[in-house]
Amino acid sequence: MSQLKKVLVVAENESAILELTAGAAFLGEHTELIYAGNQDMAWNAEIAYYAGDLQDASFLSYTSAILSVVNETQPSLIMTEATKNGRHLAAAIATAFNSSVLTDALEISVEENAVVSTRMVYGGAAAKKEKSLGGIAVTCVGAGVFEAKQIKKTKNISPLNMGESKIRLLERRGKAVKTVNLSAAKCVVGVGRGFGSAENVDIAKRFAEALGGEVGCSRPVGEEEKWLPKETYLGISGVMIKPDVYIACGISGQVQHMTGVNQAKTIIAINKDKGAPIFEKCDYGIVGDLKKILPALTDKIKG
Amino acid sequence: MNIVACYKCVPEEEEIEIKGNQTLDLSKAQWKVGQYDLNAVEAGMQIYEEVGGTVSVLTAGDAVVDNSKLRKSILSRGPEQMYAVKDEALNVADSYATAQALKSAINKIDNVDLVLCGEGSGDIYSQQVGSVLGSMLGWACVNSVGKINAANGNLIVERSIESGMEVLEISLPAVVCVTSDINIPRIPAMKDILGAGKKNATVWSLSELNTEIKNGSDTISILAPEQTERLQTIYEGDSDENIDEIYKQLRKLNLF
Repeated sequence: MSQLKKVLVVAENESAILELTAGAAFLGEHTELIYAGNQDMAWNAEIAYYAGDLQDASFLSYTSAILSVVNETQPSLIMTEATKNGRHLAAAIATAFNSSVLTDALEISVEENAVVSTRMVYGGAAAKKEKSLGGIAVTCVGAGVFEAKQIKKTKNISPLNMGESKIRLLERRGKAVKTVNLSAAKCVVGVGRGFGSAENVDIAKRFAEALGGEVGCSRPVGEEEKWLPKETYLGISGVMIKPDVYIACGISGQVQHMTGVNQAKTIIAINKDKGAPIFEKCDYGIVGDLKKILPALTDKIKG
Repeated sequence: MNIVACYKCVPEEEEIEIKGNQTLDLSKAQWKVGQYDLNAVEAGMQIYEEVGGTVSVLTAGDAVVDNSKLRKSILSRGPEQMYAVKDEALNVADSYATAQALKSAINKIDNVDLVLCGEGSGDIYSQQVGSVLGSMLGWACVNSVGKINAANGNLIVERSIESGMEVLEISLPAVVCVTSDINIPRIPAMKDILGAGKKNATVWSLSELNTEIKNGSDTISILAPEQTERLQTIYEGDSDENIDEIYKQLRKLNLF
């Protein structure tokens, strides 16, 4: 694999900084970082630019300042987080360099000096491999794509001044939503429509907790029933999982969903419908009532 | 306030077939308006009902943009006018190329104050076009907006992001991308559907807009992943013995 000259990381979460800068060190010779939040989070970059703690401004207001850094440092690749801020900043940077963002990258490589990424499309039915054509490649990268590493603390940190912005922050409200890192989970319990109601989803949560796992869901549960956050629905926008075990509960096994969980080492299915397609796509299956099976398993696990 | 809500015509994904060589066959799939775009149209209608002005819709794509069923579907949601950029080249347009086409249409439409986009397209879902369009136009632009207040001639928006909520004041003209939680799109009544057929639709080619589009990325392949072979050991019935078999398999995985 050929190496890039310089990779610039833009991030505001410590886990993303550690993952993306470690990935940058793998893909390129030099790493630089633009970051916001806690000043103490700069790692693995030779030079870092600090936008402050964002108490009085949105990260989006730093767009023109970020573009100035990009113009000055001329990286070959820019990596952002696959968050709302990361996507928007990536779009602004790519547009300035006549490029398209390679979004929700699950794999990134450098082939013949072009940055190539793979991502899921059509709700998880297919993987799209794409290549950047612009002057600078820009990608937003899902959590867990690179392994987080603390190679070297960054000492060379300069402040990033905001510059002009058409957006003014009036107020920050509410707390951070708990983001589940499904892509890094060893065990994922999948919730399907078979649960019948939002209340019953607690059975899955208790089961996942006993296993030390996370809870994901099918598209209808995340998007139509809204029993669980949309971000946890398996098969779109980077939520591809690769756990040791995936336990599909009340999930029929539609193709888009199965693609999203295909990389699980073991798949266990629980469904009351003997004819559900999931039973052809699992390693172990049990035909029966999940409202009986899951609490019984939870009790056994807890001993 | 003159509002343009953007939408994309997308294939019904459950009707996409996977062929033997792992490629996708879209030829049997019906087309529909992207589900997240309906939130943008509804947000536009709600602002219009509060402060007045106009609501139009705009799309870019190949021949499908002219499909009369889709045209009626989008216009039955309330907008008074449809605009479309139609060109075969848009069949393979990425977010950068799509935004170029939308930008030239917006420049052609008079006095646009606010462009609304959905959270992402229903098929590729890169969540990029709105942010790219805002950058190209040089307008104020934010994504992930869950509430819009346009009562005082400027825009106050609530932006829900992973770290919480930002209340932002943004100048006009602006491009705002709304979340799928901002509203529940209205269901058109029969009279809305009948009335939609009489509304005005303007379709431009790229050359009529004096514009050319260029992708910023190149698709190498779109392939359905091969499914892993599975053991398919099935226990029929939720007897204690069968539950215990599943428990034994879980225990083997050393999770607890």
